[in-house]
Amino acid sequence: MVVSRPPTESQLVERARNGDETAYEELVRAHQGIAFRIAYLVAGSSAEAEDAAQEGFVKAYRALGRFRRGAPFRPWLLQIVANEARNRRRSAGRRAALALRAAEEGSSGGAAPSPEGVLLAGEERGQLLDAVNGLREEERLVIACRYFLELSEEETAATLGVRAGTVKSRTSRALAHLREKLGEAHG
Amino acid sequence: MAELELALRELGRHVEFPPTPDLASGVRRRLGDRRRMRWQRPLVIALAVLGVAIGAVLAVQPARTAVLDWLGIRGARITRVEKLPPAPALGNLDLGRRITLAEARRRAPWLLVPSAEGVGAPDLVARSAQVPGGKITLLWGTRRDVHLLLTEFRGEAFIEKLVQPGAKVELLQVDGSPGAWLGGSHVLMYRDRDGRIRDDTARLAGKTLLWQRGAVTLRLEGDFSREEALRIARSTR
Repeated sequence: MVVSRPPTESQLVERARNGDETAYEELVRAHQGIAFRIAYLVAGSSAEAEDAAQEGFVKAYRALGRFRRGAPFRPWLLQIVANEARNRRRSAGRRAALALRAAEEGSSGGAAPSPEGVLLAGEERGQLLDAVNGLREEERLVIACRYFLELSEEETAATLGVRAGTVKSRTSRALAHLREKLGEAHG
Repeated sequence: MAELELALRELGRHVEFPPTPDLASGVRRRLGDRRRMRWQRPLVIALAVLGVAIGAVLAVQPARTAVLDWLGIRGARITRVEKLPPAPALGNLDLGRRITLAEARRRAPWLLVPSAEGVGAPDLVARSAQVPGGKITLLWGTRRDVHLLLTEFRGEAFIEKLVQPGAKVELLQVDGSPGAWLGGSHVLMYRDRDGRIRDDTARLAGKTLLWQRGAVTLRLEGDFSREEALRIARSTR
């Protein structure tokens, strides 16, 4: 008996590369959530994020011929989407940075408790989020990519268009700034 | 991981993001739109690209290369030139890898095969990966003695057909889709999905029917009459 397995990501990429739009649609479905969130963080509005992510996916399809076979697909894709979002934001003129909000208590009751067992009370969560929102944009983005979206260093580097070393140093600077801010709040 | 980092991760689970819209359908639609747009890309750009691609091969007088017709076959057009580039001998045709008809249908579900009476099953089926998405050739006869040759691909951009002075070009319809009937030798050029110009030189000194069905471009070559070619073309399923 032949058991048909769902195609792997690299098989889908290969098919899409050969012009299979259905295979590409599957790839879009698999990555649209993370792509949209990144575009939202970078572009700063939901509508622009949608446009940027869609445009990014279309551009990525066109650029598949340049995609290195066997390389991880997600960082490559996220880089294109993030670029698109940055361009949109730039051409729309500078706006106030997006302020992230935490879901109302209860409305996100489905969120699983963290395995690490660090459960923040609502008030502390609010303070921490305020501190993140108060960071300079490049630090806020690196924190959002690494901890909120849980991207790897490599993916964060691709998204922000910087080297992995820069992600490391920017992250530790951002963490230091957060500690300062939280220390002040508690002090 | 330090406590602050753990706290940030935990916070991430509570950060509100707008719900992700359905991007996949929109992207899919855009790919189709883009394909249609590319077919209609302005002439000037196409000519410039083509000029680079074949300028070295052809010694043509600019006035003669003027586009005679902007065919309705999406982006196809026919250019009359003084002299055609040399065509390779038929026996050296690079048709790609020989496969079975069943495999061709599997690899290219869009493949259309003629069912007209007297045509029968092709004697040779080959797939070339030269064109992204694949190009399928169906051949009746032998490589040295070709009776009928049907080439199909899902080309995106325009098709450029070079014909010599005196060649007959007639625009017609195949089942409501635009097509062209060409007498005399010609060269077919098209731009593939990556935007590269590909040269697909004339295989047969015979006549050619070129038409489009959906996204598929078909070229039927043989030593046949216009009516016979149309009969075969209309029978493709």
